[in-house]
Amino acid sequence: MEKNVWDMLLGFFAWCCAILLAGSMILIIGFLIVKGYEAISLELIFANTSPLEALLFKQQVFGGLFPAMVGTFFLVLLSIGFALPLGLASGIFLAEYAPDSIKKIFSLCFDILAGVPSIVIGLFGFSITILLHHSFNSQIFPCLLISALSLAFLVLPYIIKTTQGALESIPLLIRLTAPSLGATKLENIFLVLLPTSISDITSGIVLAIGRCAEDTAVIMLTGVVAVAGIPKSIFSGFEALPFYVYYIASEYSDQSELMKGYGAAMILLLICAGLFGISHWVKKWLTEKTRFSY
Amino acid sequence: MGKKQIKIQIKDLGFYYKNQQVLKNICVEFENNSITSISGPSGQGKSSFLMALNRLWESIENAKVKGTIHMDFGKGFENIYHKNYSVTELRQRVGTVFQVPNPLPMSIYKNIAFPLKLRGEKNKTIIAQKVKQALIESFLWEEVKDRLSTDAGLLSGGQQQRLCIARALVLEPQVLLLDEPTSSLDEASVRVIEDLLVQLKKKCTIILVSHHIDQVDRIADNKLVLSDRRLEQQ
Repeated sequence: MEKNVWDMLLGFFAWCCAILLAGSMILIIGFLIVKGYEAISLELIFANTSPLEALLFKQQVFGGLFPAMVGTFFLVLLSIGFALPLGLASGIFLAEYAPDSIKKIFSLCFDILAGVPSIVIGLFGFSITILLHHSFNSQIFPCLLISALSLAFLVLPYIIKTTQGALESIPLLIRLTAPSLGATKLENIFLVLLPTSISDITSGIVLAIGRCAEDTAVIMLTGVVAVAGIPKSIFSGFEALPFYVYYIASEYSDQSELMKGYGAAMILLLICAGLFGISHWVKKWLTEKTRFSY
Repeated sequence: MGKKQIKIQIKDLGFYYKNQQVLKNICVEFENNSITSISGPSGQGKSSFLMALNRLWESIENAKVKGTIHMDFGKGFENIYHKNYSVTELRQRVGTVFQVPNPLPMSIYKNIAFPLKLRGEKNKTIIAQKVKQALIESFLWEEVKDRLSTDAGLLSGGQQQRLCIARALVLEPQVLLLDEPTSSLDEASVRVIEDLLVQLKKKCTIILVSHHIDQVDRIADNKLVLSDRRLEQQ
């Protein structure tokens, strides 16, 4: 009887926690929608420029959010582009190749890397830039490339950990199937193990995408500026939505500017949702392709 | 009947897992085109013995094998543990079916075509032909021919196990290792697989690990028992 009471209490507590969390999420997003809904308009994004001209990069947008959106988009794309191959390869190495002793040391390193505050990673990127600027080429300044590389560092541990975890959780029976049919280790990894764990790995990538899109500390020190327009190349400064939100929140002069900040936050959320959607679609497409097509 | 031909020769085989000796001084020969059963209590190393025959233990950490195994694949006896002997070729000639059906997370068709693709077969017509033949041989074709592109995981346990047998057969192996292939199946499925094995004997040398005395009596030509780390005639 006593056990039953504890069971019920624990169940009640678990329910409360879940509801609290879900409620907070709805509250935050709801707050953003209520505040940002009215601010969102084509004018907020493109200001006085014609949207078509801006989308085709024919005309610079001044005073609108479009450059920051483009900046954030390319920043995420580049960061994930750097972090993904590195992270996947490291995860595969740890799960499939590394002997136990090395696995322990490397796992510790990646855990520490995961715990490094983003501002420290930003500082590190900034220091490297200064070092390169002085000793290598005086044309090197904080820019999109350096921000993306620093962010890649920030999200690497997520991708490594999820890849390693996903591969290690594959049951021995599935692990031995392909080798028993004559597959080499590499074939086993690429034809069976990775496709089997693609779903778990994608969730790690989604986390990484979210982190890249929202992080402000890293880019603040390594390349983001308040007004830069569309970045001309990966070596130029850029605008980004989270930095814009931060900038507005700390320095707004009137209500309409603050509303623009809410609008920017909502657009950032939408861009993240879009990127999650894309990664979900890629996951589905890959699964279909590897599993079911003839 | 003519003189029986020996397919597999095992001398002084020892198997170690985490420095514990699992098998000790095993000397045994297996005849061509026969079914040999291996029975004995659980945890005595029956599965380890099979893994020594296809070198699958090499994919498991902390496992080690001593002794020699020779197999005759038409070119006289060859040491499968010779350093120049290709483990990939060995596993294409020695098919394996595990205790629990282990279809890969793919369609029925892709599961069977998988070993062919590993071997480098690109011709789609040949692949389709061999897939069909393997499914016919494993008594599965009639049940799945209309849904080859559906997930193999949706088949029943017995069907999944026949799928795994078909997948092992598609490479036309000369030796077939089966590790308690019917232990997770119902009576009807068991009978189907037993009939199948008796048919397959014409093409393969079959080594069957089985707990079930009645099953062994029904289909085995030779009966071996594994106890106290040694393999003996029953």
